[in-house]
Amino acid sequence: MTFYVTIIHRPEMVPEYLQKGAEQGKREDLTRQEVIQESLDIFRTQQQIAHENGLRTTIQMTYASLFNEEAVALAKEHHEKYGDEIGSTFLGIQCQQFREKFKSKELAIWLFSMEDKRRIVDEVMGKFYEVFGFYPTSTGSYYMDAELVNYIKERYPMIKVAVATCWEEGPKAYHNANNSWYTLHDGSPWNPWIPSKRNIHCPASDEEDDIGIVAIPHLSRDLMAVFDGPGSYYGTHPQNILRGMVYEGREIPYFMNLVDQYRAQAKYNRGYAYNMMFVGPGWMSKSGRWEADYDFLLKAYKDGMAYYGQLKKEGKAQDVTMSEFAEIYRRDRPYTRPECALWKDILYGSKRQQFWYVDPWMRVCLDMNQGGAMIDLRPYAAKLIRPCGVGTKCLQDASYPFLVQSLYRAGYFTHYAGEGAVKSCKFGHQDEVVDLCTCRTLASFSEEGDTRIVTLDPVEIEFADFTIRVQSVFRFAEGTGEIEMIRRIIETTDPQAEVTIDEYITACYGTTEYPEDLTGVKLTVTGTSGTESIEYAYKCREAEVAGVTLAEAIVPQVDTRLTMRTDATDAIGYFREGFAFSPMYTIGIRKTVVGKGELRTWLKVEKAS
Amino acid sequence: MAQGRKGKLNYRCPRCLMREIDMDMLYDRDKDEYYCLRCSFVGNEEEVLRLNAQFREKYRDRARRITDF
Repeated sequence: MTFYVTIIHRPEMVPEYLQKGAEQGKREDLTRQEVIQESLDIFRTQQQIAHENGLRTTIQMTYASLFNEEAVALAKEHHEKYGDEIGSTFLGIQCQQFREKFKSKELAIWLFSMEDKRRIVDEVMGKFYEVFGFYPTSTGSYYMDAELVNYIKERYPMIKVAVATCWEEGPKAYHNANNSWYTLHDGSPWNPWIPSKRNIHCPASDEEDDIGIVAIPHLSRDLMAVFDGPGSYYGTHPQNILRGMVYEGREIPYFMNLVDQYRAQAKYNRGYAYNMMFVGPGWMSKSGRWEADYDFLLKAYKDGMAYYGQLKKEGKAQDVTMSEFAEIYRRDRPYTRPECALWKDILYGSKRQQFWYVDPWMRVCLDMNQGGAMIDLRPYAAKLIRPCGVGTKCLQDASYPFLVQSLYRAGYFTHYAGEGAVKSCKFGHQDEVVDLCTCRTLASFSEEGDTRIVTLDPVEIEFADFTIRVQSVFRFAEGTGEIEMIRRIIETTDPQAEVTIDEYITACYGTTEYPEDLTGVKLTVTGTSGTESIEYAYKCREAEVAGVTLAEAIVPQVDTRLTMRTDATDAIGYFREGFAFSPMYTIGIRKTVVGKGELRTWLKVEKAS
Repeated sequence: MAQGRKGKLNYRCPRCLMREIDMDMLYDRDKDEYYCLRCSFVGNEEEVLRLNAQFREKYRDRARRITDF
């Protein structure tokens, strides 16, 4: 097992809090010496803490820092003395020189027009070369769109790695920041990946699709807490944790719990696990931040770094710079290999588990608190070309669309009417129906060759006159874009009772909480009794066929074909159109068994065009 | 009424925090109290700290070292 840790520091001469004018009573002045000096001091302190713990870092030089002789000298010294990597970043571009050259207060590289992105890339890389005499091999930002990275690779092919997204930093982060923080880019993998040329969120399918860099996420986030909470509360960023107030007294065991849970993911990823830590100087302000005074901010940082240092000394962690990591990652990473995480709650005291899965076809989350219901589904197979920034249709909305996101679109529980987005299974007997969403359970992980298997502990379903025990198994066969789902009645108190097993997916598409127009979505079901098909028009239509061979939804808005099939010859297939108060579509497969029995279905995600 | 200013730490509004909105408050020096520009919260430092402690209670494992994964 190898646990890789990447520590990144950036000398940010003009922290974001200054641009905001948060230093009350003072006009914005990008050249104010005391602020620049404080930022530099914080950077120096962070570096010192890392080195004292025997950890090497990647120094991501901001554009502003390239004009600061002291910052440059420090980077060169630490590269020589400690083996730190000197990289570049598109964070921290704002400074007097930038304002004079680009006449803009924009701080997010991905939100500039494409023309400006090119100019800024050339300026930043040119200045870096002028200062250091070589080009960097690592770069990054909070988000790096594929169009931007494609340009960088074309002009500066030596770039091999980038901090490319913040995991699930979308509408939740926006709301958390009083609707003023425009990092709308949900939908990426949570751990490093090789991105597609077409969309940075999607893992590349093959060499032709490979964008040419390894992407790493901005921080390692808590996969359960951040899916339903602010990204800036729960990650490998001690000051984020202070922001989330996950501490008692001045102790933060949660940081170590989070690191250890990431280390444990090696069990599901063939011995490999990863963490990155990246704290900008603004988070360690001498005037304190988020109710924490400087002493607490400093202690939190020292404690976090000390834990990584301890793990390294014990031989349980390997510190690598960004570029070193990229080389290691590419050495043993077939394009089709998925990333898996069987995650458990480490905050709220429940035993809840979720299983996350990413491959070039899809990103999926199963929630064991809801009987293994699929609560997130992103159709990576569509490899949607979705440029962002000024002059594009998406502009700030850089998220990768979902078909299912149960927190944005209700899931199992809706308010009295309609349906929410979720994939689950219902068991019925006469007029009684029980959805597995109501059956909490736990899961275990195993592998058979290249198939990853999630097996859920059996759950008990009580009908009026009898009880059944049901087990769910999910099989992810590498390189297929398909998930096999097995729902098995393993015990019954009435061997003569008829039970229907109804595997369904209720879905939509979008990037936010708000509904999108489903007009034109095509629903089709084919079986031995014929084919039924409609184009979505909010008319509440339903159809079913006997001897189903395929149930299908084509969502042209996200260029996705979603299908379900079964090996049962006697199953019924159906679709269900929604209505405006329930903007969802459902496809499903239903089978009746007597006593014990099972339904086996396969869900597939493909590019429609 | 006095001009609202930043307090000694950037205390967020504890009521907005409960709904996961980070909203810095302003401090009224004359009344020695904090107030929120978004919701109607008003309270002194003691009240803010009391509610912050309440906010943390949802993290039942906040003080527990977990090593079993």
